[in-house]
Order: sequence, then C-alpha cells, then structure tokens
Amino acid sequence: MNHEPKIVGFLCNWCSYAAADLAGTSRRKYAPNVRVIRVMCSGRVEPTFILKAFQLGADGVLVCG
Amino acid sequence: MAEKKVATKKDTEPKIGVYVCHCGSNIAGTVDVPQVVEFAKGLPAVAIAREYKFMCSDPGQSMIKDDIKQLGLNRVVVASCSPLLHEPTFRHAIQEAGLNPYLFEMANIREHCSWTTEDHGEATEKAKALVSAAVKRIYLHQPLEVREVPVNPNTLIVGGGIAGIQAALEIADAGHKVYLVEKDPSIGGHMIQFDKTFPTLDCSACILTPKMTSAGSHPNIELMTYSEVEEIAGFIGSFKAKIRKKAKFVDESKCNGCGVCIEKCPWKADSEFDLGLSQRKAIYTPFPQAVPNIPVIDKESCAYFLKGKCRACEKFCEREAIDFEQQDKIVEIDVGNIIITTGYDPFDPTPIIKYGYGKFPNVVTGLEFERICNSVGPTGGKIVLKDGSEPKSIAIIHCVGSRDENYHKYCSRVCCMYALKYSHLIKEKTKADVYQMYIDMRCFGKGYEEFYQRLSDEGVTFIRGKPAEVTDRAISEEEKGKLIVVGEDSLLGTVIRVPVDMVILCIALEARADAKNVAQLFSISQGADAFFIERHPKLDPVATMTDGVFIAGCCQGPKDIPDTVAQASAAAARVLALISKGKVELEATVAVIDEEKCSGCRICNLLCPYNAIDFIEEEEVSRINDALCKGCGTCVAACPSAAITHKHFTTEEIMAEIEGVLV
Repeated sequence: MNHEPKIVGFLCNWCSYAAADLAGTSRRKYAPNVRVIRVMCSGRVEPTFILKAFQLGADGVLVCG
Repeated sequence: MAEKKVATKKDTEPKIGVYVCHCGSNIAGTVDVPQVVEFAKGLPAVAIAREYKFMCSDPGQSMIKDDIKQLGLNRVVVASCSPLLHEPTFRHAIQEAGLNPYLFEMANIREHCSWTTEDHGEATEKAKALVSAAVKRIYLHQPLEVREVPVNPNTLIVGGGIAGIQAALEIADAGHKVYLVEKDPSIGGHMIQFDKTFPTLDCSACILTPKMTSAGSHPNIELMTYSEVEEIAGFIGSFKAKIRKKAKFVDESKCNGCGVCIEKCPWKADSEFDLGLSQRKAIYTPFPQAVPNIPVIDKESCAYFLKGKCRACEKFCEREAIDFEQQDKIVEIDVGNIIITTGYDPFDPTPIIKYGYGKFPNVVTGLEFERICNSVGPTGGKIVLKDGSEPKSIAIIHCVGSRDENYHKYCSRVCCMYALKYSHLIKEKTKADVYQMYIDMRCFGKGYEEFYQRLSDEGVTFIRGKPAEVTDRAISEEEKGKLIVVGEDSLLGTVIRVPVDMVILCIALEARADAKNVAQLFSISQGADAFFIERHPKLDPVATMTDGVFIAGCCQGPKDIPDTVAQASAAAARVLALISKGKVELEATVAVIDEEKCSGCRICNLLCPYNAIDFIEEEEVSRINDALCKGCGTCVAACPSAAITHKHFTTEEIMAEIEGVLV
C-alpha cells in the first residue's frame, strides 16, 4: 500500500493561492501531493479542466476560491 | 516563399531558459536544486537551465538578461518564490532585455514546496512537477500589450479619525481634491474622545482640533460627514463611488452652528460620544468642537419623528435651517485612489463575567475612563465613583480581551501605555493608590520606557499576574464595601486580594464589527483577527491586494497615534505618487470575445462580476470593455460557444499546465 495520490489544485490568485503562500510563509507542513495551478478566479475553472486532470492520471482535483 | 516561411517559424520557435533559485537555504535546504536543473534541461524547447543563489538579486537578473541577448532566449521560467512576490521583478528584467513581459512564467517552489514539505526527495519531485508545468505552459505564451489608463487626481478617504484626517491634509496640501467620508456627525474618531496622549501627556483635543478645523475648512477637502460608502465600481485610476449622505434634517447651507436648537430641544438620549455616561439632546453635535459644527437630528429619539409633534428646534432656528422633510441623498463621485481608515471598535468586556463589567458600576473600561478624566466629559474631569465620591484606590487590569486565547490572541499594543497614563492622571487628580495588574509591560515606542520609569517613581504599585476575578464578597473588615481584585502575584507566587474602589479594564482594540462588509465593498482581505491585510507585512504596509486601495491606522491592526499618523502619511505619499505619475499600467490579461463565434446568448453578461460585458443589440453579440475587465475568466469558463479567450490564461495554456504538473 504505497499509493500516493496525485491531486491537482486550481487556486484563485486572490484568496486561496495567497493562502497557500501564507501557509508557506508560516512554514506549515502538508503532504506534497497537491500540485497547484493558479487561476485568476475559481470561476475560470472549466469542467474540461477537471476531466483533463483525471484523464491524465490525477486521483483528485481541488478547486479553491 | 516556402523557405522564408520556415525561417520565420524558426525565429519564433520557443527557446526557453529555466532558472532555479536557491533562495539561500530557503529552497536549496530542502529541494535538490541541481537535480531540478538537470530535469529542466531535458524538457522540450529548453535551451538552457541554470541555478543561482538569489535569482532576484542584481547578478541573478543579469544572468537572465545576458542569456536572452547571447543565446536568443524568447521565453523565461524562474523557479523561486511566489509570483505574488517577484513576478513584477522578473517581468521588468526580461523587458529590459527586450522581451515582452508576458513571455515569463514563475514556478512557486518556495511557498508551495520547500517551505511546506518535510521530505527532501518529495520536495524535489514536487519542484520538478511545478517547473515542468511552467515550461509546458510558457511554450504557448504570447506577447501581450500593456494597457495604460489615466489616474483621476481625486481621492476618496473613508473614515475621519486621525488617520483619515492626516492623509486628507497631506493630499489636499499637495493641491489635490479629497473626499473625506465619515459615518458619524463629526470627524475626530476615537482620538477626540481621549483625554491626554501618552507619553507626552499632550491634551488629545488640543493637538487634534487644529487638524480637524484645517480639514473642515480646506478648499481641497470635501467633508462628507454622516455619510457612508454604498458602492464602489471601477479600478485604480478611475473608481466610481456611490455615497449615501444620511439625512441630518438640518440644511447645511443655512445652519451657522449657533446651537439654539440644541439648547431648546426638550428630548434626550444617551450620548454615544460619552459612551452612555451622559446624555445629549435629540438634535445634537457629538461634542462641542465638532467639525462640521452642524447638528443632526436623531430620528430614534426626536419627539416629532416619534410622536408627530414638538418641532421646537424649527421654531427657534432663525435661519430656518431645520428641514424635517430631508431625505438620504446618494452622491456619485469619481476618484482615482481610495484610502481606508475605518479604525477599530473597543472590545466589549461584558462576556468576561469574572471581571464584573456591567454588574459592578465602578468597573469601567479604559475608554470610559478617558471620558471620566476629560474636563468636558460627564464628570467635568473629576475622577469620581458612581456615587460621586473620590476613589481611595484604583486597580488597572491589563490585557482584557487581548493576549487571551478566548478572545483575541494578539497584543493590542496601546494598553500598557494608556494604563501608565491613567496612573499619572489619577495621581495628579486624586490621592488614590494605584495598582497596575499586568502580564508583561510592553513599552516599546520612543520615550515609552522612560515614561514607565517615571511612573514607577510616582508611587504606582505594579503587580505581575492576570487577575482571576473582581468580586464584592468580602472576607475581612477592610474588604467590606470594596471591589476585591483576586489573582496571583506571579513574581511572588502567592495569591493576592486587593480591595479597591474602582477597577479600570484595559480593553482590547478589535476590528470593526462591519469590517467584513467594508472588505467586500472595497475588495480587500481580512486576516484571522479580522483586521485588513496589507500587501506585504514588511515591505508594503499600506497597499492592499487591490491596486489603488490603501489602508492606514487601526483598521490594519492595533496601533498607537504616532504609528497611525506615520501610516496615514505613507498612504498619502503612495496616492500622491500615482497622481503625479498621472497614469497606471493595467494587466493585459483580460478576456476578449471572438464575435464570429459569439451566439449572442448573453450568459456572460450577467455572470461578469464587474459589469464589463455589454450586449451590442445591432450586431447581436457581446463585447467586453477591457478597461473594466479584471481578467477573472469567469465568462470564459461559462461561454457555451467557447467564443471567449482569456489572455495569458487560455484554455490551451491551462491544459498544458495540467499536463505539466502530472508528469
């Protein structure tokens, strides 16, 4: 059971992306499985982005905004 | 012809340079930088990959510029910190080397990777994925034109406390128009409620009223008191604000502030200015030196509004300035910049039941004590108990609501100093013994430590330890009829009981109750403590994440008057810099509609949060006003015809990035 899930995160530049920056500045440790893609608003995320991520092997998709 | 075409293609073929930053040990301490560089070298279209200790330094930037010139790079990826920090730095650098600033991409391997990942191997793998995403994405980047818009030289300042007044005067003195909006009937804020100011013991009103009068009479300042901002539209350089001027029921153009109406009004209500310790009339100015010196009628306590008769004020007003028919007015103004100086709320200590505020009449808050000390306050400046007698002993409890897990974790920064000031005022006006009950004395400012020393010599008793309760249950003869402060003297390690006549609670400064609404209105952020967040905690203390919106004073966090004034002047300087430059560059990352593809369904029109999309009836297509578009991309995702392109965040670019992170 060595499965490490791959998670793609779509983060809004103004809130959650800045929050992820703050987590870094505060040296909070979390699992490295989330790979962040910055969008200017979570409203920019199209359903096809999520499907594309799954199609390419993602195990989870996180949309924050 | 065919040959020529091939040559052109070769010229524009992406040639990418990747630069991985060590950031000292911030990145290199966790991420294996040489391994990431080797990985980057193997990615398609990467012509060169390098590492350096500090990419943002001059030599780091020169390295990029030299490579652009010598190797003919036409795309640059820097893997370092957050783009929110250094994207502008590197865009500027490649622009200096002749590249379009949008042919740049950043991989955030510090905030999102090295600082948050414990395992070095995993951090290195994550850094590779982020670099790969940036490289895949930048392959598709297109040069974009930066837009320039003019800056309207007028400024809106929201909040007429010392911060707002200071900023308004700085900008107005430089020759530019300021609209100063204040929700109360007078400017002055909390500072005008104070008696003296620490550590110099200047009379607060004496140093503030001249500034208030200047703001009130300045030809470049338009005071809008008893007013609130309702709506903000637009962007840096050209905001449109809708301001509600609440009905004062007094015609400002006729009233000369003689005060006869106030004298003749037979109805009373609790004075907000004196925190309910005294009464004011139903038609009132909050305090004698109010600016503007024009009274307002409080509908809630006016007999005419409540019962339909009285109108005494109207009868006695020779200038016929009373107007019971007056309605709220919505005024629209155009401004280029906004400064928010909405201040703080004093913490309400009622929930801390153990201190008995609200139960024992002689337990008062710091702000109430300011009014009690003030010569125009409810007791005429005499320090007296509720029964009118002079207290023989007073306890001052520090950190009420501050540095307390249950309320606010932060230090309110001013309480130690105002507590010391109270000691001095008490010693000056009474013979009472004073007990300071503190956790730590924080006297950090200029002249503050000296003030603490001085007070120590004035015979004030300092007891270290946060009191457990204030009670009236006496256990000895000397405690009878007193308030007993029970706690631990943590220096002696013993439980103490201090019988006193009066207890002053040094209450915390907290974010305004309506701070959330203000934050939403101006599109700025709040921290966990609800105060507004500055753009950078050290290097950009007065700007916000919204261009053209600045913050100053206690709305950003608790601070004393000198710091507030300094911050207000800093915000004014930032605004003046924008005004004198006269124009700002706007992000080119807007959305555009391909009118050939647009079916005219208008879905985007309603979705746009900035009302930037118009429907052109004659052509049956929608069109985006790129001056209003903020580039959020919501319309792009929603368009059923895929007719909208989000520049710099195109569907193809994001798809490539998804592919990249999933290597």
